[in-house]
Amino acid sequence: MRALRLVHAVAAVLVTGAVTGGGFPPLAAAADLLPPVTPVERAVDHYVDAGLAAAAVTPAPQADAATLVRRLTLDLVGRVPTLPEVEAFAASADPDRRAKLVDGLLASPAFARYQAVQFDAMLGYAGGKKRGGGDLQAYFAAALAENRRWDRVFRELMLPDDADPKLKGASDFLRPRVADADRLTTDVSVAFFGVNVSCAQCHDHPHVKDWTQDLYYGMKAFLARSYESGGTVAEQPAGVVKYKPIKGPEKVARMTFFTGAAIDHPSNREPTADEMKKAKAAKGKPDAKTPPAPPAFSARGKLVEVALEPGNADLFARSIANRMWHRFFGVGLVNPLDQMHAENPPSHPELLAWLARDAAGHGYDLKRLIRGLVMSNAYSRGDRTDSDAPPDPQLFAVARVRPLTPMQLATSLKVVGQDPLSFEKLSPADLDKRIEGYESTARGFASLLAPPADNLQIGVGEALLFSNGDRLSKDFLTDGAGTLLGRLKATSDTNAAVDLMVRTALGRPPTADERAALTSFLAKRADRPADAHRQAVWALVTCPEFRFNH
Amino acid sequence: MRNHFCGSADHAVGRRAFLGASAAGAAAFADMTGLGVLGSPALASELKKGQKRVILLWLAGGASQLETWDPKPGAATGGPFRAIPTDVPGVHISELMPEMAKRMKTTCVVRGLNTRNGDHGGGAKLMMRGRRDEAGLRYPDLGAVVAREMARADSKVPDYVTFYTQTEGRSMAPGDGGFLGARFSPMELTTNDTPDFIRRPDGLSDLDHKERAELRESLGKGFARGRAGGDTLGSHDEAYGRVRGLMASESLFNIGKEPQKVRDRYGPTQFGRQCLIARRLVEAGVPFVRVARAWWDSHGQNFETHQEMVPELDHVMATLIDDLKERGLLDDVMILTLAEFGRTPAINASLGRDHFASAWSMTMTGAGIKGGSVYGKTDAKGGTVTDGEVNAAKLFATIYRGLGINPQKNYFVGTRPIPLVDAGTEPITEVLA
Amino acid sequence: MPAPRPDTLKPVKDFSRTAATFAVARAAGSPTLYLGAADFKVSEADLSASKPEAKELYAHASYVTGLALAGKWLVSGGYDGKLIWWDTEARAVARTVDAHAKWVRKVVASPDGTLVASVADDMVCKLWDAATGKPVRELKGHAEKTPQHFPSMLYAVAFSADGKLLATADKVGHVVVWDVAAGEQLAAVEAPVMYTWDAVQRMHSIGGVRSAAFSPDGKLLAVGGMGKVGNIDHLEGKARVEVFDWKAGTRVAEFPGDKFAGLVNKLAFAPDGSWLLAAGGAGEGFVQFFDVAAKAVLRQEKVAIHVHDFVLSPAADSLVLVGANKVAAYSLGL
Repeated sequence: MRALRLVHAVAAVLVTGAVTGGGFPPLAAAADLLPPVTPVERAVDHYVDAGLAAAAVTPAPQADAATLVRRLTLDLVGRVPTLPEVEAFAASADPDRRAKLVDGLLASPAFARYQAVQFDAMLGYAGGKKRGGGDLQAYFAAALAENRRWDRVFRELMLPDDADPKLKGASDFLRPRVADADRLTTDVSVAFFGVNVSCAQCHDHPHVKDWTQDLYYGMKAFLARSYESGGTVAEQPAGVVKYKPIKGPEKVARMTFFTGAAIDHPSNREPTADEMKKAKAAKGKPDAKTPPAPPAFSARGKLVEVALEPGNADLFARSIANRMWHRFFGVGLVNPLDQMHAENPPSHPELLAWLARDAAGHGYDLKRLIRGLVMSNAYSRGDRTDSDAPPDPQLFAVARVRPLTPMQLATSLKVVGQDPLSFEKLSPADLDKRIEGYESTARGFASLLAPPADNLQIGVGEALLFSNGDRLSKDFLTDGAGTLLGRLKATSDTNAAVDLMVRTALGRPPTADERAALTSFLAKRADRPADAHRQAVWALVTCPEFRFNH
Repeated sequence: MRNHFCGSADHAVGRRAFLGASAAGAAAFADMTGLGVLGSPALASELKKGQKRVILLWLAGGASQLETWDPKPGAATGGPFRAIPTDVPGVHISELMPEMAKRMKTTCVVRGLNTRNGDHGGGAKLMMRGRRDEAGLRYPDLGAVVAREMARADSKVPDYVTFYTQTEGRSMAPGDGGFLGARFSPMELTTNDTPDFIRRPDGLSDLDHKERAELRESLGKGFARGRAGGDTLGSHDEAYGRVRGLMASESLFNIGKEPQKVRDRYGPTQFGRQCLIARRLVEAGVPFVRVARAWWDSHGQNFETHQEMVPELDHVMATLIDDLKERGLLDDVMILTLAEFGRTPAINASLGRDHFASAWSMTMTGAGIKGGSVYGKTDAKGGTVTDGEVNAAKLFATIYRGLGINPQKNYFVGTRPIPLVDAGTEPITEVLA
Repeated sequence: MPAPRPDTLKPVKDFSRTAATFAVARAAGSPTLYLGAADFKVSEADLSASKPEAKELYAHASYVTGLALAGKWLVSGGYDGKLIWWDTEARAVARTVDAHAKWVRKVVASPDGTLVASVADDMVCKLWDAATGKPVRELKGHAEKTPQHFPSMLYAVAFSADGKLLATADKVGHVVVWDVAAGEQLAAVEAPVMYTWDAVQRMHSIGGVRSAAFSPDGKLLAVGGMGKVGNIDHLEGKARVEVFDWKAGTRVAEFPGDKFAGLVNKLAFAPDGSWLLAAGGAGEGFVQFFDVAAKAVLRQEKVAIHVHDFVLSPAADSLVLVGANKVAAYSLGL
């Protein structure tokens, strides 16, 4: 497969001569798709299996229980499971144990908290900005706690209402971006439609015929009237975007969505002197209590309306489906996430079309979508193959090994630092309360770690931090009552100690080699068991099996 | 499919060449990421040629070109300082730099920078990276690229070290691995002259530290086999594999290891001290060191500020050049002076100069650069570039070429080819040795 | 005779200049102003003209920052390190002296017109025979480097009314009182608040003692500058004046400033000592009148220019401010 991709890449160089216009034709006719009533996970497996069959690749067998419960807990609530959680899941004979686990995790407050971090990062990174972590994250936490639908989130972020306390933080998506209309245009396009048109700012995209300068400025025309006032985002009642094509005279942009849907409106004109004056006065007041009244016609509002109209909404639906797929599989159906266009088809066109239709058909219910993805067999495959070279990641033949996000890593360190027995018989609410406390400790440490990225490179800074920094021993690997190290202190039998530390850190018993290595390490330090335990646990939590979600 | 990058046809050539070369080391090229190349012997040997290194003197806040490299004595905008002749006939610099005036034969001045961004944050990112970020794509900075091109995978010294001790402007001019990732992000020194976490923690013996690392390695051994994790998986073990070696490099940061005579030459200031450390680092093979000297943002009292700060720059830079030369390193080490922008010719009511990006100067000394050259001209008042205008891309192309790096080569983000500098940019051949 | 009252200060006339004017000198009762400026020139202007205009007399090779009138001699100093003697009667340059290795910051004449004193960033105060231009003696009492190892600057110099004392003041706030005849240091006082070294954020400095003046009886010494600065990119410290009983080595009054930001570039006492006038600025300028004995601010006004220097007539009834692109004359009455 790899060789094939190289050929593709070279061949693409030969594609020249951009064709203007085009839009985004549907990927697959609805009639050809599996029926809408198909459960999401079955649709996923149907299409992924078809891809595997076509490539004549045998997928990895399903992951064992310990691996699966770790993967699900990390992906959904952002931490490793406690040892009792692992053991309870592994021991359960309930045929519905997986569905019950998934539903429990989806319903827990930790799901909203952790996914809020993920969404905040997703929108923050879209613009190449550093992590926000502030009010936008708080907005997402509240929105996800009530499973607010993605179209509503889109509307609330694009048309923030700071007067509504329930929507606090929503304006933090637009506000930092409005000063630069080009950046706003690009970021909105990337975040919600998976389209990065920034280079069409200067010229029609030479290789992507969908992406024309007209389209870029058409999108900008929806957004260029916005400005910051009184700590929120206001909008001019009129405005016009002009641009100079490479050839020909200056043009006036028509508000145009990516599907080619264009809006003509009398407000597409230069603002009057009075309108300019009002906006100018409003701009200068960061502390103003009441922002200017919204305009009679909101171009930004129109964009939201047009983007969600049947016939146009496919892009919105496909983008969120692709982003959620990427979040749980580590590789998108379309890669990169901001390159959704006709020249860059999905690995599984019907699957993406089916998921997009399903999302739209169920009111953009993110929990439904996520549940379907993580209930699929494609998601729960083992993470190892026997072949020397792993198959094409976009076949989803084997679970991809993904680095933990900073919050996953830091919270997980906190979890495994505890005495595993202290988690036994905790009510879900009490457990969540403890986990929430860990998350707040974890936040500071997480900020020291590299933010997630495709093809993340872990730097020596992290290895030095873990090897020589005192944060780990002070905040995570303490040895008081109720901690793992405290419990190990009370464990005189070396075998039992080895067993406990490996099962706590990795959720599985030690292999023979590991037992031998750890036993000999501890034996050499038999006169100072506390040091020995601390160092051995350090080695366990810094090894790749802990550092990665697999 | 797959050609998402909106560059010109020039990419095709670079891309084919890159693909061709990679065929020799195909196995290492799994995900077509830029990093795979480190493991590719065919490319690696070419990249290591010469082992060039860079010391970037980052004049944070924006030093004035008029009080350094491009004086305009007697002009209404010229300020009070005279210009003095240098060892290069016809080339004059500010009287505040008498030491550099004796050494201009080693150095090239670029006087026609027009970089169009007079904002500290935007300007700093532009001049650290040589280009504007695209949405969703953070470019690596100069240090990260040089580290990426020159570093050995198992290097026992850091690849990229940056000193930025003062707080002003630090967050606006971050060292940044960009899409190359943390592997090539800088080791940042901010609070003192020794890197964080380079010293063994208290209460852990060296033997325990070593054996603990060995235990880690043995527990993790084999995890990657048969697993699909791209380069990320490998980078984790590689990072831990470098810890002990880097810890051994701690003494490079200790100028107590230098004879008093050498320390005295660099002088008692923080900038002098850090430049001496920089010399120790490049001598030991560190590919890129940035020493940030903050903060030049002289909106008030421009002349007092430059009278205070330029002599230090003059002294330390001259010492660094002499020292590298005496050690036979100047042919391999390039010294740059650069900032986010220069300062306005106009002098404000507080006798200050403000931000100015349309006609300013920088210097290059050493490796690959023609000493004694001056490129570009500004008008009599210093307001515009009249000849030899250079933008950030052209400057970076020149620096890369001087270091023996092909500025037209591509990195790959996923499958997307990203040239080192904006497509079609040619270096300033006139200043290349 | 009592001195004119600060509340009578009112503008009389002003004229614009393209370059910042750093120094002004004027003979008692004369309408002629001598101006030293950023255009490197020494010029004269007739204040009695309906539209005064500055006309070039001669030029330095850099900013002209000090001007002193000693009898018929006008002595100018500049950042070129030179002092130039101009014969105001013959209207010709009489001599040019390579006076200092670095910038000359200020030039003053003794009240009897026999001596001229210059201070420069070589940190030496030099006394000259006003008539012959011969060096008389050098006064060395200021460190060349700041405690942080950067070049220091010697900004201010002032004679006492009887000409027996001389005060010099530098960047780090070190102020020395000299016995002019003996060339010896009599006392030193410190005004460290006027020097801001920012080690944490920006690693350079701003400020310095920029002005000095003795009270008419010579007992008090006032120095001016700027208080501690947060952001040293800007002249945003409060204008600051401190008054010392220099013999006792004690500070008798301080005016930390509550209204204006910027440097106090010039100080002068009223002839009867009833008030102290300070002027200076940042982006804009100010004048301030203090009652030193009462430690009270009598009057403080914004003026249109950052004031670099002023000349007050012997009777204190006429004041001319010079600074960023303007020369402005004021009157004071009883």
